[in-house]
Amino acid sequence: MSKVVEISPTTRHEGHTKLVLKVNDEGIIERGDWLSLTPVRGIEKLAIGKSMHQVPKISSRVCGICPIAHTLAGCEAMEASIGCEIPEDAYLLRLILQCANRLHSHALHNILSLPDMYLPGTDVKINPFTPEEPVRTVALRIQRLREIAQTIGEIVGGEAIHPSNPRVGGMYTNITPRAKAKIYDLAKEGVPLMHAHMDLMIAIFKNWDARPTAANASGVEVEKTEKFGFHDQGYMAAAPLYASSSLDLDPQWSPERWTEVRPWDWYMGEMEIDLEDPSYPFGGTTKAGAKAWPQMEACTGVPLYDGAPVEVGPRARLAKYRDYDRKGAMGLQIARQMEFPDTLYAMMEAVDALDTSGSVLADEIPSGDGSLGWCANEAPRGCDVHLAKVKDNKVQWYSLLVPTTWNFPTCSRALEGAPWQLAEVIVRAYDPCVSCATHMLVVDEEKKVVAQKLIQ
Amino acid sequence: MVLGNYKSAVAARSTDKGILSASQDGGIVTQLFAFALDEGIIDGAIVAGPGAEPWMPEPVVATTKAELLAARGTRYTISPNMALIKEATRSYGLDKVGIVGTPCQMQGLRKAQLYPIGMRDVPDKIALAIGIFCMENFPYQGLETMVEDHCTVKMESAVKMDIGKGKFSVYTERGGLSQIPLKLTHKYEQPGCHVCLDYVSNLADVSTGSVGTPDGWSTVFVRTKVGDGVWARAVDAGCFETKPIEEVKPGLELVTKLATDKITKNQKTVEARASFGVKADGSGKALRNPYL
Repeated sequence: MSKVVEISPTTRHEGHTKLVLKVNDEGIIERGDWLSLTPVRGIEKLAIGKSMHQVPKISSRVCGICPIAHTLAGCEAMEASIGCEIPEDAYLLRLILQCANRLHSHALHNILSLPDMYLPGTDVKINPFTPEEPVRTVALRIQRLREIAQTIGEIVGGEAIHPSNPRVGGMYTNITPRAKAKIYDLAKEGVPLMHAHMDLMIAIFKNWDARPTAANASGVEVEKTEKFGFHDQGYMAAAPLYASSSLDLDPQWSPERWTEVRPWDWYMGEMEIDLEDPSYPFGGTTKAGAKAWPQMEACTGVPLYDGAPVEVGPRARLAKYRDYDRKGAMGLQIARQMEFPDTLYAMMEAVDALDTSGSVLADEIPSGDGSLGWCANEAPRGCDVHLAKVKDNKVQWYSLLVPTTWNFPTCSRALEGAPWQLAEVIVRAYDPCVSCATHMLVVDEEKKVVAQKLIQ
Repeated sequence: MVLGNYKSAVAARSTDKGILSASQDGGIVTQLFAFALDEGIIDGAIVAGPGAEPWMPEPVVATTKAELLAARGTRYTISPNMALIKEATRSYGLDKVGIVGTPCQMQGLRKAQLYPIGMRDVPDKIALAIGIFCMENFPYQGLETMVEDHCTVKMESAVKMDIGKGKFSVYTERGGLSQIPLKLTHKYEQPGCHVCLDYVSNLADVSTGSVGTPDGWSTVFVRTKVGDGVWARAVDAGCFETKPIEEVKPGLELVTKLATDKITKNQKTVEARASFGVKADGSGKALRNPYL
């Protein structure tokens, strides 16, 4: 007899979601739905009719952890639509910004993941806020890495959160030789910290993966399953580090392969909660007797690639470009750590190549004829695709396919077979960014179908 | 306290003939920034550099002495120096920012340090703020009218402008001097200056201006710990010739008088705004008062 348990809200990730889980007598998830409850803000609809210069600044505000992804994907979707090639030095500045953002975001995510983990070789859970060693050193190192990343982002991007420097056609300003030297110094300072940090994080995640049991924060120890967090969906990535756009000679993403369905078609129907656990940290699960209706409550669309949900993010990048094959929740976590070196080394290479007296703005910025352009930026959490049609400098159509939107249905599948008490550990492995995912419900002809279903 | 808080006041001028050759008065700002740059007290300074039109200033981040020298001389029109305060810490990559400005710009600076609204990383990167005395300022068109129409001098021909002793004076490169009484310039003043209650840059680390000291010299107020430290080092290093302010004419007495005049006059304007209008029912209607 399967029962339904609901964890709402989930914690230690960005945004507002819940887990509706159908579990068997042993508490193993038979079917799980992870869904966004974040109010829809409708960025794509309100963008219509606005200037192509303003829209990327608005879509930046989708998310404050990965605003770089949305700013750059937004600008580059506009550039792809109008057919504008940016100068090399503008590209290098954007690349440095991208690296800085990935470094800070991955390090931030470690803070969110660590409380699930153990100090390797012990039964001591990691509390990143403890003043005690060895955790204190780790926490300070994470903070320094993030400080380095945000400072570099600030120099090249104008601002660490919601970068002001990128614009359609390139960047507003190049940086000075002093700023260039500063970036190099900061990156070099980061290298040994990053290596030590990456090694430790990988050890921690491997250690967790090898444990036969694990506890959640309330100390309830459950048996782990062998294939914890496995799924059979494919991977999608557009670049190992930066992005691909429709301006590329060999674009790494294809709008033809993308379709989108309603939550109605993907999520479970209405059901009643009949399992509750008041000891679930902290404050217990949803009370028995409450109703859940994922089809209706989910606030995202369900994007499909080649007709199926896909995983995006660090593992998808490594799987596609580096033959990485470790599966499961910890496989994803470890892939994320493996991305640390690239952020700093690619940044140092880019800053080496940067000519601080080079032009950073295209000589000519066409005003657009309504053609479709897209850019797939590899955000910290995965492939962030912005599609746009620009005519006479105005946005006619705009769509955002954001990493966590891709991951929602995939992660839901990955929950199957895991003990429900550890479901959040799987969710966290995806480093979800739910305000990113919930920028809007995609509206098209199919909406009518949804509307009719609602009336019935 | 019309002169603000200060640790010491002196008459001073730079000992660098190169700086003095085109400085407005004693070359205090240029010399102090040049010294601070040399010593690593600052790694750049926001100054009013040459702009697109003659006598139109353009804020620049100066990181060399040559750039500082290019910013010498008073331009009696608006230079939005604070516009660069954040950018100096961004694409310029500065860690220790110097800035020169009028009293209102020093106020903006201190406000940004205490209440950094959209001013991330600015508060702790301000290393030296030099304020200049300011009675009022003019929009560029106003200055152009004063110089070209009233003084009948082409803007391009002017080599120095000066307000002092009740006159607006324009010196030309061919040795001419054209003067008009200040009374004629009043209508060109920037209206926003009429609610300003600060004459001698009370909020700067060091403030300086011409009033109170003879031509070629400046009156200097050393106000903060930071200002005191930099000033003492610069004097020790032989950057400045100084005299006790008590020994020069007209001295602080005139500075105090002018500061009092400015504040008294503008305080009245501020107060008048409270009863500027009238509502339909006959009750009073105020204009906004930013000091409340």
